[in-house]
Amino acid sequence: MEADDLALVERARAGDREAFRALVVRYQRKVYAVALGIVKDRDLAWDVAQEAFVRVHAHLHEFKGDASFSTWVLRIGSHLAIDSVRKERTAAKQEIDEVRDADLAGSGEGILATELGRDPQQNLLRRELAGKMMEALAQLPEKHRTILVLREVEGLSYEELAERLGIHKGTVMSRLFHARKKMQGLLREYAGLEPDADAREEGKGGGEP
Amino acid sequence: MTECVRYAPMIGARPGELSDEETRAMSEHLAACEACQARLADEEATSGLVSDALMAEANRRDFSTFADGVLDRVEHRGVLSRLGRWARRHRAAAIASALAPAAVALALVVYFGAGSPSEQQAVVEVTAEGRGTMVLQTSDGPVVLIGNADSEGT
Repeated sequence: MEADDLALVERARAGDREAFRALVVRYQRKVYAVALGIVKDRDLAWDVAQEAFVRVHAHLHEFKGDASFSTWVLRIGSHLAIDSVRKERTAAKQEIDEVRDADLAGSGEGILATELGRDPQQNLLRRELAGKMMEALAQLPEKHRTILVLREVEGLSYEELAERLGIHKGTVMSRLFHARKKMQGLLREYAGLEPDADAREEGKGGGEP
Repeated sequence: MTECVRYAPMIGARPGELSDEETRAMSEHLAACEACQARLADEEATSGLVSDALMAEANRRDFSTFADGVLDRVEHRGVLSRLGRWARRHRAAAIASALAPAAVALALVVYFGAGSPSEQQAVVEVTAEGRGTMVLQTSDGPVVLIGNADSEGT
């Protein structure tokens, strides 16, 4: 796939529209998925994803092949998505990233694992939770939603997340901890497992000093 | 502060993301901490759910027009970009082009407001960076002279 991408990039650089179209078709859904996870709105995600490819086209001459084409277009897409929700970020209450003892107070750890069983890929509950995931993501504060999507869909490492978001590695890990904790609390609620009022409040962005 | 404050955020780290020392300390903590063992189990059980859900959303959507939309945007940006470059290179012609309709309108206003053509010598001249646009009074009526936009060598 990698060598094929490079061949298409070379042809696209030379003005081959169909080569560029092939690249778009190859990665359109993943770029859209990343954008959707961050911006929440389907129409805005569509717009962001299309704009990402337009930017790629404008800068094809700069692509050197040191990173994969998919990494490049996903990076541009996520940047655009983050920029589009920047207003949401500045308007929201600033949440603390560090992990404190209060954050670790028992709130149902292990319940999801037990219920999802030892064969999560075939578990009906897993499919139901995946169906509820969009709703859960939408309830997370922007910075938690963003870091989860960059980690889980774009697959960024701690180091890459630190660089992308302009934060320290320790902050990356703490922020992911909070994001996952809130997400899991919401999923337990959707699954009707041990109602967790604290997690529900956290999932809505409140309840933190 | 409990040890979990330090180690709970490390749950979910991929191979190579923790130092050897962190990995060793984390393993020792996990061996002794049921709460963090449960957190690890939850992390493993829900791993991939976010990605699965978003990709499922993407796969449900009709993308048949997406690539065409991208190419249309690329084409539109290309046209705007070319227009912008032309305007920057040929500022005089761009300004004259913008002024020409106004000059014609002004000339007509002067003509119609100046009384009998045979009694008036109405001349309106508009210039823009050396390019002249004039309205001359002739025996056949007003003649508007508009300088041609010379796109070569300016």
